[in-house]
Amino acid sequence: MSSEALVPSPHRGEGEGEGRESREYRWRMPANWWTRSRRYFLYVVREFTALPLALWLLWLLVEIKRAGDGPARYSPHGSAAFVVFSVIVLLFALYHSFTFLTLAGTIIHLRFIDRPVPASLIVLSQFALWAVASGVIAFVLIWFGR
Amino acid sequence: MPDKKVTIQATRFDPDRDEKPRLQSYEIPFSDESMVVLDALNYIKSHVDGSLSYRWSCRMGICGSCGMMVNGTPKLTCNAFLRDYWPRPVVVEPLNNFPLIRDLVIDMDDFMHKLKSIKPWIIRKQEIPLGGGEHRQTNDQIDEFRQFSECINCMLCYAACPVYGLNNEFLGPAATALARRYNLDSRDQGLTQRLPVIADTEGVWECSFVGECSVVCPKGVDPAKAIQQTKLDTTMRFVLPFGTRE
Repeated sequence: MSSEALVPSPHRGEGEGEGRESREYRWRMPANWWTRSRRYFLYVVREFTALPLALWLLWLLVEIKRAGDGPARYSPHGSAAFVVFSVIVLLFALYHSFTFLTLAGTIIHLRFIDRPVPASLIVLSQFALWAVASGVIAFVLIWFGR
Repeated sequence: MPDKKVTIQATRFDPDRDEKPRLQSYEIPFSDESMVVLDALNYIKSHVDGSLSYRWSCRMGICGSCGMMVNGTPKLTCNAFLRDYWPRPVVVEPLNNFPLIRDLVIDMDDFMHKLKSIKPWIIRKQEIPLGGGEHRQTNDQIDEFRQFSECINCMLCYAACPVYGLNNEFLGPAATALARRYNLDSRDQGLTQRLPVIADTEGVWECSFVGECSVVCPKGVDPAKAIQQTKLDTTMRFVLPFGTRE
């Protein structure tokens, strides 16, 4: 009945025998673990989006510092490459914000008149707050930037 | 019509002979649509190769003993139907992220140590004598912790968690879910005893919310939710005045 075929294990991690003392094979996470599942991959993408976002924000700090020298000598960085980078960062920021706010229903637990507030309502409120905050910031930037 | 067959590829590892695990292939009869992976392993053990080692007990999704990787996904093998994989081969391996003792048997000492560290029992500052009556709870109070009490310690969530795979100092999903189960219990007064473990850097703060623990849980427990809510609660506890922290 048994085919007795011996083949390398495709799913096991990389590990090492620990010798005869402990008689165990120690698990070691393979470097490509995040490619083995769609959910792992999306998780790593979600985490990675924070990196270019942080770089862009660092650049924003530099711009603010330069703006502090006075409007006469200030010219914001506007090369095509920077615009492309900014658009990509915007997409990353939207993805990161979307995933973060979607998870709010899991994280926040509220009760209203002795009943738990539905997770969907919490998520909706987070997106509404996001929209309001974006609107207020856009108004401030446009109004005071004229 | 020829008898239907299914190919099971099971991890074999003899610590006295093997340097590393390998897969061994078995072709067995797939005679019944209700056969689960555990049935296949039991068939192999009874009729093909009695040396195959694995854990199991209840065969009904309660004991949590038969958790293994089935085609790369952590599953209770008593709840993984062969019909969902047939005609492809079914690859059965020990749970990821744990040291391997033999064949499909993992070393669960680390989990047992973590489980004990969160004191998964009701702690009272002062016990009420038996004559004082029972600890009464309302339905709402039970609903607060009920889902976290469904955990059967099968460790599938640990096998699915890449954070634990990369750093096994992490307290992990099931232990945190059970800590939350007791912390939310109106009869329990042990929060301050559990806080040093769950609020530690290797406690809930090590989790970066992959969420896979909740996906693979066979009992519908949501350990990711327990961890994130514990993060929020410990933060609020830090921010709020002392008097409101208990």
